[in-house]
Amino acid sequence: MTFFSELGRRLLMLVRRHQFDRELEEEMRLHQELREQEHLGAGMSAEEAHYTARRHFGNATLTQEKSRDMWGWSWLENAMQDVRYGLRQLRRSPGFTAVAVLTLALGIGANTAIFTLIDAVMLRSLPVANPGQLYRLGDNNNCCVMIGTQNGGSFVLYSYPLYEHLRDDTTDFSEVAAFQPFLSDLSVRRSGVASAAEPYKGEFVSGNYFTMFGVGAIAGRALSSSDDKSGAPPAAVMSYHTWQTHFGGDPSVIGATFTINTVPYTVVGVTPPGFYGDTLRSDPPDFWLPLAADPDRWLFSAEPEWLYLIGRLRPGVAPERVQAQLTGELQQWLGSRPEVIPERDRGDIAKQHIHLTPAPSGVDQMQTDYAAALRLLVTIAALVLLIACANIANLLLARGAADRSASALRLALGAPRARLIRQKLTETILLAVAGGAAGLYVAYAGTRTILLLAFRGAHYIPISPKPSLPVLGFAFFLALVTGVVFGAAPAWIGSRADPADALRGAGRSTGDRTSVVQKPLIILQVAFSIVLLIGAGLVTQSLRNLEYQHFGFVTEGRLIVNIAPSLAGYTPDKLDGLYQRLEEALPRIPRVLSASLSWYSPLGGNNANEGVYIHGKPPDYRWTAPSWDRVGPHYFETIGTRLLRGRAIEERDTPAAQRIAVINETFARRFFPKEDPIGQHLGMGDASHSGDYEIVGIVEDAKYQDTRGPAYATFFLPLLQTPPGEPLRGWVGAIELYVAGKPEDLEPFVRKTVAGIDPNLTILRVQSFAEQVNLNFNQDRLIARLTELFGLLALVLACVGLYGVTAYAVERRTNEIGIRMALGAGRRNVLGLVLGSALTQLGLGLAIGIPAALAGGRLLAGQLYGVKSYDPMILGLAASILAGCAVLAASVPARRATKVDPMVALRQE
Amino acid sequence: MLGGVPLHRDEIPPGTLYLLILRTLARGGEMHGYEIADSIQRISEDVLQVEEGSLYPALQRMLIKGWVKAKWGVTAGDRRARYYQLTTLGRKQLAVEVSQFERVMRAIARVVQTA
Repeated sequence: MTFFSELGRRLLMLVRRHQFDRELEEEMRLHQELREQEHLGAGMSAEEAHYTARRHFGNATLTQEKSRDMWGWSWLENAMQDVRYGLRQLRRSPGFTAVAVLTLALGIGANTAIFTLIDAVMLRSLPVANPGQLYRLGDNNNCCVMIGTQNGGSFVLYSYPLYEHLRDDTTDFSEVAAFQPFLSDLSVRRSGVASAAEPYKGEFVSGNYFTMFGVGAIAGRALSSSDDKSGAPPAAVMSYHTWQTHFGGDPSVIGATFTINTVPYTVVGVTPPGFYGDTLRSDPPDFWLPLAADPDRWLFSAEPEWLYLIGRLRPGVAPERVQAQLTGELQQWLGSRPEVIPERDRGDIAKQHIHLTPAPSGVDQMQTDYAAALRLLVTIAALVLLIACANIANLLLARGAADRSASALRLALGAPRARLIRQKLTETILLAVAGGAAGLYVAYAGTRTILLLAFRGAHYIPISPKPSLPVLGFAFFLALVTGVVFGAAPAWIGSRADPADALRGAGRSTGDRTSVVQKPLIILQVAFSIVLLIGAGLVTQSLRNLEYQHFGFVTEGRLIVNIAPSLAGYTPDKLDGLYQRLEEALPRIPRVLSASLSWYSPLGGNNANEGVYIHGKPPDYRWTAPSWDRVGPHYFETIGTRLLRGRAIEERDTPAAQRIAVINETFARRFFPKEDPIGQHLGMGDASHSGDYEIVGIVEDAKYQDTRGPAYATFFLPLLQTPPGEPLRGWVGAIELYVAGKPEDLEPFVRKTVAGIDPNLTILRVQSFAEQVNLNFNQDRLIARLTELFGLLALVLACVGLYGVTAYAVERRTNEIGIRMALGAGRRNVLGLVLGSALTQLGLGLAIGIPAALAGGRLLAGQLYGVKSYDPMILGLAASILAGCAVLAASVPARRATKVDPMVALRQE
Repeated sequence: MLGGVPLHRDEIPPGTLYLLILRTLARGGEMHGYEIADSIQRISEDVLQVEEGSLYPALQRMLIKGWVKAKWGVTAGDRRARYYQLTTLGRKQLAVEVSQFERVMRAIARVVQTA
């Protein structure tokens, strides 16, 4: 109780500080006067009485200070004093302050931007209830449909019956939900509205998906288990972002009917803002639909394993026990289902297991994809910040040396050294905090730029570039640490000024404690800069190699249109007419030189693999399954892939004609090493189909999925040819156009033509082939651009630093230069003197930096394409750029030194 | 008391300043700084002299702790002065300090007297 009243009194004093000072002073003055009167009364003279009283009083100021100290606020007052003084000092040299704050803003801002990304991608959990209770049944992100045993025995994809079995039999989960690993394309049209169908992204999920996540609807209701029963009226949930951006937040959307992929759904609710589903990805789902509404009934049989599972574990349950139980249930299930695991694989059942992994962030696809890139970026940004700190430390050292007489005076007057250091540190912390505040701007802009670079081609990314509370805290903390780091040494050195020495006049001595610290800092800066420049050079060259490699097709002048006939209600029997009409109409569009259709186009994100059986040869299990595609006439010439032998797929390859196939070079080499492939036969499914298709042509290798490795062995089938009794696998998903002039200009004509053929046929995307290919290099481009930016920044900082240090040295040694010139030294000697020191620092920096770059390059080697990590040309180029700029920077003050008038120099103190 | 410069005085033992001030205020009611110092000097027959450099910081501390409260008034000579007065808390503190002091003094006396 007394503690609080005491605290209250202390706080009151803080507020009434001035009044307190005045009253105390008045009180003490009265005391002194009464003493004086007492002495007078005792018989002293007036003067004697006065002086005796004064002497008795002692040091009035000290007494006042001690009295004030009792209240315990002196630390605060001193700190305020330091801050005010620091601000004054900074205002007095605006040039220095501006440069320092700008440098810091860039350094701290860059680090904060990367931390924002790390926070959003790596650290944050899903915006759901109690994410710590969520567990994923599986430990990797293999996609998308598997049959039988899975890679390494670790089950991550589950069939629907298996999901039901695990869900119902495991009581340790309060809920287990199932969902697609990838998003489906949806063709959506609102009932009663005349406009055409629009493309959206959707995800099929189990009925208890939202219950499992503990997420309710912000309007209407979320999906429930009753929506996920066969025969239930189809219900859909819309995402908040879609509701706002595509429907203007119109409340009439809830309860309205939407035709999604020709099926009427009722939109029953909207998810809360910020909810993006189970996976952090660009373009998250616009709609969530119940699994029961998925039209592909094959997916609900026991064979296809296509669902990811996440469950909410009941509190207090040990995950290991549940994991063991789940594995047992899985093996039991597999053992009792011969249609899932054929006889020959039954031995593998014991190896199949379920690895229960904590999943507070859901499926961590993005984390895995970007972990390496983020690590690299963190390293680079930290290096840049260190260079910036070194620069400012050097500037502060120079300033401290200039201030030396002022510091000396203060020390002579009795200021404790610690107080002086604290004052200087306060100044640097003020700089750092100002830099940090400005850095928030840089961080915001930087984060936005990085997101745009990394997710080029996306419409919406659920990552906000606005600084959140943890990010603000990080920026502030980083600013403080930075301030202490670069301020400590200069503050300490500045406070060691010997009062007598400074008052006598500096400049006579040639040795100097300041430059002892400055030189290693410059050397380190040069070393860091060369590391960054070499890194930038390597990564940029790697990107160029990737972008301009021989892909096996030509992207110039090509347009790719993505369509999805199944979403418009097409069935296999109606496709022939559609494809024919497209093949007739497309070449008639002006400026189109050639047009073709295919299941998917190269480097568009799709690839199909299937085991193949060669007629007359035993099955070869050594190789991974080759890729394959369905293509129409003129495909290879439209995308610019060369035909090497035989013929390509042509108009005559109709469903009624002989079934043929075209293979690529790698396929020919692998499966027909010693003989002519033309005339041989192949098939899919099993050995009985090995005679289905006759090989009639060989095309050059082309990359369809992996931009870095060699092309896969690939075979191509005509659009609609299937063996008798076999269902059609693969529909047309892409239209390729070879045009004269700019491909993008043709988009409105293409849309009109397609709409003319069938207005319901949704066009999912139109983009040039070049853009489609470029999207594959988003991450590489991101790293290259940022490394270039940081490299440039480091270069500028290092040069500014070298300039500053050389200018400072010249100024300090003006006296000495004057003497030398008076004694006969020429301009060249002076130049050599000044530059020599700068060149030594440059040389040492390169000597340290280049080996470091080579060592670091080895870590980078895995990510480089077509470039060795020790590429001598890049090394040489980076070193010469840095050396050239550095020499230029140092020569400016050096030339100023040669213009020194000896008489002026000698007179100067 | 002799006229002129006062003779050498003994220092106030550390830690007893608060005791002396509290006791003085308990006896004197409302006093200002000079009166407190003067009172201590007189009653101790000039042995104990409180330096202003110790008195005022001590008074401030006692204000913080709530042992005394102060208000501005007017002296006999028509001058503004701050008058200090003992609080209930101060009286309690006085009792504590007195008993502590007596205990220590008795102990010291025993040590000194034992031959």
